[in-house]
Formats: sequence, structure tokens, C-alpha cells
Amino acid sequence: MQILALQHYLAVGAIMFVIGLIGFITRRNLIVIFLCTELMFQAVAINLIAFSRFTGNLAGQAFVIFVLVIAASEASLALGLVVLLFRQKNTLDADAWRELKW
Amino acid sequence: MLGVVSTLAFAVDAGSADYIVKPMIILLLCVLGGIGTILLLPGPKQSAGLGGVLLALAGLAFGLIIFRAAAGTVNSDTGPYFWIFAVIALVGAVRVITHARPVYSALYFVLTVFASAGLFILMYAEFMAAALVLIYAGAILITYVFVIMLAASAQSPSDRSPLASLAECDLVSREPFTAACVGFALMGVLLFVILDKADQLTPPLPPAAVTTLMPEEAVHGSTQSIGQYLFQNQMVNLELSGLILTVSMVGAIVIARRRVVGVDQSFEPTVETISSTAAPVNDDPHSIPVYGTTNPRQKSFPQT
Repeated sequence: MQILALQHYLAVGAIMFVIGLIGFITRRNLIVIFLCTELMFQAVAINLIAFSRFTGNLAGQAFVIFVLVIAASEASLALGLVVLLFRQKNTLDADAWRELKW
Repeated sequence: MLGVVSTLAFAVDAGSADYIVKPMIILLLCVLGGIGTILLLPGPKQSAGLGGVLLALAGLAFGLIIFRAAAGTVNSDTGPYFWIFAVIALVGAVRVITHARPVYSALYFVLTVFASAGLFILMYAEFMAAALVLIYAGAILITYVFVIMLAASAQSPSDRSPLASLAECDLVSREPFTAACVGFALMGVLLFVILDKADQLTPPLPPAAVTTLMPEEAVHGSTQSIGQYLFQNQMVNLELSGLILTVSMVGAIVIARRRVVGVDQSFEPTVETISSTAAPVNDDPHSIPVYGTTNPRQKSFPQT
């Protein structure tokens, strides 16, 4: 019972992580790119909670708190940067900042 | 060619008793889901319906296989809720990356967050579920929606077609084929490892070991035990997370308050961003009139 149920949650987390990864690569809107990052954080949080539940260890739930902290600070900093970038080029297209590749 | 076919056939046949889901079936479902995702992603082609059907078929087949494999072993009474929340979370996640409008992406992400909170509750982590809803759906997503509204480009009111007001970067996705190949290959490997090799990764705990590792109230998700764990075992990390939050708050203020000089010629300065100078600060303390005090030095100022 326990192992298979753990695998259920891990499968959900893996699928959600991959969906976020694909969105991160394909979308060109800066805000949606950061939204996909949050999606990947979410998948990792599901995995951590599942391991915490099925191995009987509270460390997983504690790590989810730290993941939330990092996600919140990342969101605030990234959205501030997005506002700054939008003011310079007047577009949210990530390709407008193509010169940053070099 | 024949060798490839025989290898595939061997891979399909090999160890069918050992695998919960055969690796080739996972691979085929991932290919199907990848094609569906390519069609669903915003692009010039108009075949999103077919992509949605393909993706739904792949997901349904995968779910049925898992469900059938788990039918004899899982005797959990929260099983239906797991399936409901998982389906809502994954459909919401797919809509996040495939919807052309950023506002709808953010709202579908809220849906995913709520479904994930439901999954957390199923795993007896109700404090995490509450924190997730509070922080993600309450704080982070509000910030996202505000930035989306701030950065919304001016719409032409004459054009009434539903997608005409969107920028080109929202309507055409970048490299959907490569991304789907990479992503669904990764998904295939992950699902193979999770479904078929996981019992080698984590040996099953007997119930007695679980109850000794985790007291009964902790098994049932007491917030108190999480707090005790955090403040006993993770004290420095907790303080550091508070420091990170403070630093990021200060950093976000510093970043967003910087006045932008128009380096790009296409940039049109607006009143709000450029030409408003900071209000001059009058740091003369006597310039603030004080009324109704008994201090004679302050009363000496005229009451205008």
C-alpha cells in the first residue's frame, strides 16, 4: 500500500515538473516564464511532502517551508526585474533581450 | 532495422512480471503527450483541439494503467480524492503553459495551487496546505497579476477579435518541438524510475517503524510537531530564511524604484516612469507646523 501510493504522488510531481520545464523553454513572455518556475517549485514541494509522509520524516515538510521562502523572494525580485525590463523596451518578449546571450 | 525492432520487442516483453508499467508503454504515452503538447502550445497552427484530445488520451491511458496496477494493492479510502486533485492539478498546469493570455495562465496556476493543497491535505500536511494557499495563491499570485496588469500593452479598442490584443511573444512559442522532446524524454525516464525502480530506492517501511519515527500526532500532520522540528533541528536555517526574505524585500524595492533613462529609441517616456522627478525633501524640522502644544519654542511659529 505504502510504496505504490508514494509512487502516485511522485508521478504527479514528475509530470508537473516536466510541464513547467516545457513551459519555461517554450514561452516567450517573461512573466509566464517565471510562472513556469513557480510550477516547478510546486512539483518539488509535492515530492518533498510525499517523501516526508511515506518515510515518516518531518524534514520534508520543513524543506517545503524553505522552498516557499525561496519562491516568495524569487518572485518578488524577478517581478521587480520584469517591471524594470518592461520599462526599458516596452515589451515583455524575452527575445527583446537577445543581446544578453553574449 | 531488424535489430532495432527486435530490441524494442525485447524491451516490451522483458520482465513483464516485474514492471508495474512496461517502459515501452510509458515511452509511447510520452510520445503521444509530447505531440499533444506541441499542438497545444500557442503557435501559428490552429489545431489546439486535436492536441488537447491527444494529451487527454495519453493522460487517461496512463492514469488507467496506474489505476489498474494499483487496484489490488492500494486499499486507501482517500483514493478518489487523490485522482480528482491530481487531474485538476495537471490540467491546470497544462493550461498554464498553453494559454496565450498571461492573466489566464496566472489564474490556472491558482487552480493548480489549490489542487496541490488538496494533495498536501491527503498526505496529512495541512499546515503546508494552508501555507501554500496563503503564500502562493494569496501573495505571489497577487504580485504576478499586478505585474501583468502593469505591463499590459495598450490595446486597440477597435479590434475586437479575442487574440488580437496580445503581443506576438504570447502567440508564438519558441521551439515547441525541441522542448517537447527534451521534456517528455525526461518525463519518460522519471516515470520509469518512479514506477518500476522505486522499491529499490526506498525500501518499504513497516508500520511500526513509521510510528516510531513519527509520533502519532505527527503522522496525522500536527502543526505543533513541525514547529518543534523547525525550532529544534532547523534553527539556523529558519533564521537564514528570514534573512533571505528581508534581503529580497529590500532588493525588490531597490530594483523597482530605479528610474530608467531611456536608452532605447523605441521607448516612449511616460509621465509615470520618466519625467516625474522625486519630490524635493525639505529636511528643515522647523518647517513642519506644530499646533496645540505647550512648548513655547514651537508655539512661536505662525499658525498658517
